[in-house]
Amino acid sequence: MSKVGVFVCHCGENIARNVKIKDVVEFSMDVPGAAVTADYPYLCSAPGQQMVIDAIREHGLDRVVIAACSPQLHEPTFRAAAVQAGLNPHLVEIANIREHCSWVHRDPEQASAKACQTVTAAVERVKRSIPLDPVEVPVTKRALVIGGGVAGIRTALDIANSGHPVVLVEREPSLGGNMSRLSETFPTLDCSQCILTPLMVQVSRHPNIELMTYSEVEEVSGYVGNFTVRIRRKPSYVDAEACTACGDCTEVCPSPGSNEFDMGLSSRKAIYIPFPQAVPSTYTLDADRCLNANLQSPTGFRVLACVKCDEVCKPQAINFDMQPEIVERSVGAIVVATGYELQIGQQAKECGYGDLPDVMDGLEFERMLSASGPTEGEVRRPSDGAEPKDVVFIQCVGSRNPKHGVPYCSRVCCMYTAKHALLLRHKVPESRAYIFYMDIRAGGKGYEEFVHRAMEEERVMYIRGRVSQVFEEDGKLKVMGVDTISGKQVEIDADMVVLATAMEPTDHGKIARTLRIATDTHGFLKEAHPKLRPVETLTAGIFLAGAAQAPKDIPDTVSQASAAACKGLELLSHEFLERDPSTASINQGACAGCFECLQVCPYGAIESQEVLDRDGNVQRMVAWSNPAMCEGCGLCAVTCRGGFIDVAGYNDEQVFAQLGALGPVPEVFRR
Amino acid sequence: MSDAATNAVQSSGAAAVPEGWQPHIVALVCNWCSYAGADMAGTTRLEYPANVRMVRFPCTGRMSPLMILRAFEQGADGVLVSGCHPGDCHYVQGNLVARRRFTIFRSLMDFLGVDLRRLHFAWVSAAEGHKWAKVASQVTAAVSEVGPLPRFSAAEAWDSPQLPSVEGTGPEELSAADLEAIQTNLRSAAAELLTTGRVEKVVGYRSGSMPGQMVPVMVTSAADTTVLEWGDGCVNNLAAYATTALEDAAKVALVVKTCDLGAVTGLIRESQIERDRLRLIGVQCPGVRHGGDLADKCLSCSGAPHPICDLVVTVDGVRESCADPDVGVAETEDARDVQIAHLETLPPDERWRFWQRQFDRCLRCYACRAACPLCYCSSCISEKHRPQWVPTTIDNRGNGAWNVIRAIHLAGRCSGCDECARACPADIRLDLINRKLALEVESLYGSAGLDPSEKTALIDFRMEDAEEFIL
Repeated sequence: MSKVGVFVCHCGENIARNVKIKDVVEFSMDVPGAAVTADYPYLCSAPGQQMVIDAIREHGLDRVVIAACSPQLHEPTFRAAAVQAGLNPHLVEIANIREHCSWVHRDPEQASAKACQTVTAAVERVKRSIPLDPVEVPVTKRALVIGGGVAGIRTALDIANSGHPVVLVEREPSLGGNMSRLSETFPTLDCSQCILTPLMVQVSRHPNIELMTYSEVEEVSGYVGNFTVRIRRKPSYVDAEACTACGDCTEVCPSPGSNEFDMGLSSRKAIYIPFPQAVPSTYTLDADRCLNANLQSPTGFRVLACVKCDEVCKPQAINFDMQPEIVERSVGAIVVATGYELQIGQQAKECGYGDLPDVMDGLEFERMLSASGPTEGEVRRPSDGAEPKDVVFIQCVGSRNPKHGVPYCSRVCCMYTAKHALLLRHKVPESRAYIFYMDIRAGGKGYEEFVHRAMEEERVMYIRGRVSQVFEEDGKLKVMGVDTISGKQVEIDADMVVLATAMEPTDHGKIARTLRIATDTHGFLKEAHPKLRPVETLTAGIFLAGAAQAPKDIPDTVSQASAAACKGLELLSHEFLERDPSTASINQGACAGCFECLQVCPYGAIESQEVLDRDGNVQRMVAWSNPAMCEGCGLCAVTCRGGFIDVAGYNDEQVFAQLGALGPVPEVFRR
Repeated sequence: MSDAATNAVQSSGAAAVPEGWQPHIVALVCNWCSYAGADMAGTTRLEYPANVRMVRFPCTGRMSPLMILRAFEQGADGVLVSGCHPGDCHYVQGNLVARRRFTIFRSLMDFLGVDLRRLHFAWVSAAEGHKWAKVASQVTAAVSEVGPLPRFSAAEAWDSPQLPSVEGTGPEELSAADLEAIQTNLRSAAAELLTTGRVEKVVGYRSGSMPGQMVPVMVTSAADTTVLEWGDGCVNNLAAYATTALEDAAKVALVVKTCDLGAVTGLIRESQIERDRLRLIGVQCPGVRHGGDLADKCLSCSGAPHPICDLVVTVDGVRESCADPDVGVAETEDARDVQIAHLETLPPDERWRFWQRQFDRCLRCYACRAACPLCYCSSCISEKHRPQWVPTTIDNRGNGAWNVIRAIHLAGRCSGCDECARACPADIRLDLINRKLALEVESLYGSAGLDPSEKTALIDFRMEDAEEFIL
């Protein structure tokens, strides 16, 4: 017979106000198995815990029920106390009589009746609890970082600098991400590439980093500490070792097209280097554009067997026979830093984006402002190349617009629009800048000052209000809006319009499906807890960094990247991981071998095993659950018709006993 | 509540809610979403009725229909199952598989006459404290409206409704000479298989001790094939003998009717037998009779062998498989479907009484289990003692639990051979229960059919599965 100690917490007035503690204590005494019952004003306090510890020792308790707040809060506290008293932590059960009882039921009679039943059920449950020891699994001391933007770069460097190998996967031919496209960064106006490219070079030279550009993660299997990653390496048709980046190939290439690095504002050839400081510094042959008929591409336009680049390449780096390659790596931790893209939604279209050439989005304007951009840093109208005099910037295009865009704030637009206006005024001193805004959200170090600098020193005209429409009239862009402070209609004849469109996760968070992690409704990757676990996912061993998790600026991205690296390193610092022992176990003696459990397991944790007879012949096949992979969801246990699978910590007997204890309200409380 | 009062509830047909009665509701909640959502309701100090008692699970995927039954048996008037929204499952797909299970379980409960106001399902996320409070209030209100759970017992002095019968001819009629010819062909086919050593055993039928009765037989030599018989008494589904036959034989031939093939496929699908150790002898069927009448399942069948058979035996001779798949032509409406539809027109409490009457007769002899080719577990959940999910008592509580759980275990798997109903000495309409769930599964998720590589519906899911009933 178990000796259960029942300890009821008052939580000051929180529980005691609505639950009659005395009744609960008295009632618990009669529950079979309850050996000791006691109450205390704050059980979670040091003396409260000590009371539990002393009681376990003094009375030789082998099970403990704590009737207090939600197990999500203090279960770890009381488990630790039990361990201190020499009891297995899994022999502690929490009865939630605060969140589920005193806080939601005002009638003391009803709240007390419910509390008594909850405690009874907890006692019945804990009597059937089994001491569990953590499952130990070895850790592969290598990390995978997905995404080679500033977040991925920072994470990779931090982990690599700590002495652990890192695989960095980037789908574009070069590292850099969106940050390499930016001109100057707010609020200090550092040149973006000047501060980023040294980090990119560090990555490429780092002995601990295996850089895979032009590659994508195709499949991830395994579990924390032991992931297996399949990475598809797209063929660049250029031998990176041999390529000297001389550029002769680009000169002769007859197939031009739009340059995505410059957001389509310039053109590039089929064989190209994304930008001069690209890392790795090598050319890439775009199979979709190359005219050589031998290349395998679904969209390539093939008319002839063009080999011009090959002819001029002195180091003979061109290899038309290169094939896509799948490489496999074992890693212990994964950091996802897949970044963002700008959303062109309905509101952007209403502002003329796509129809009017002189309406552009933020990143296009960044390229224009960039010294390495298509105009070498000069501000020019895309339509006629003239220097614009009146430029209208519109904030919140798509953002904060639940009806026609996204409900969230993209967080960086207020700042980069101020920067755009300021840089415009620097580059075209006689220009006038107008900004339509909803609010100014400048909540970062030096941000508010920066906006004021734009307003006061550069005389940028801030108009609070929204734009209803933008159209072309007499070679000018007519911007119709409203100033909600004066309540007047505003009409501006502009030369150019720049839209601060909403940030959205790259490919709508497609990577989440590959990794089987959760996203929010917009595709941003979901953190384990918005406040307390902001860089972890609910899947152990997978961490988040940068704008893939939520819109954020560079300082926040870099902080989060280092935080994710730190979390990854915490994991990699262990030789073995302790996993929650709440896992499924299969009674192999009874298993009928239908393998439906294997088919429903979301983690591939169930395998088929041979049962051999004495002569070593296979007698039958049965299922086996790998405790190192099992997450304890229990799908298999319900699938098993014979009831041969049980889940430790949520075993059949516990559930059965709990349901039994939750019958109709005991007579004593029926009044 | 007194027996008289219970009977009053049952016979009045309308829910009588006793004065001052408070419903008792058990909620099964997942740890990650709904439990945390209820915590959130607490943190936000949202008041809701105190009738709901919670049991925490790791996932809705851990919640078994047995647990809901147990809650009802223990006196719950209503049950709420709550988990994460689709796409939010901590275990990726636990709630999606669970959604199918509970959809089917709910249909079964409805069919058995449990008022659906007692059984609720909800998605409540960790952030939806308000929704939890609302769901708890809604469920309490719904259960309050319907009143205490009726007792698990058959009402006295109450006539079960007559189920409609369907007139049908069934398969093409075969004369005595035709049957004789088929029998001769079958014997020669079996002898051929045994002499050439292609199989070591043939499982077929021989005459039983009663006139017209056929019983299963295993033949191991060509000389013995003369005992093989064919006729409308060949009711048994021989798939049930396949596993045993294969225990000491490398290859076995099985005499099959088209209605037996679902079970054969099921056994292959569930790794109980291997297709390449099996020769299926499909025989032209005159329809089977049990107790004189043509079986309900035969009314809509053509009797022609199915092309997945390896050998086909007809009046004309023996062929290697059959070319034209002239099978399962529904010339008559399925009698079972007509009866199911009739039961569904009755109000829930009438259906409850109908099934309580049926379950009242159950002897717990487990003949249904023994006859079912797909009940092959080495030990049955009904024999599990720790814990004893299925009460062993021969009352409506235990009998109901047994019949419900067997139906749930067969949902998506049952091949509709109706052997359970035939074997039942108490004439419980198990065929209707199984057929109802098969129809439900097929209409919602499609059928795995006779392809053993297809997953059955209840271990599979689709993101867009129907869930109109989920709060």
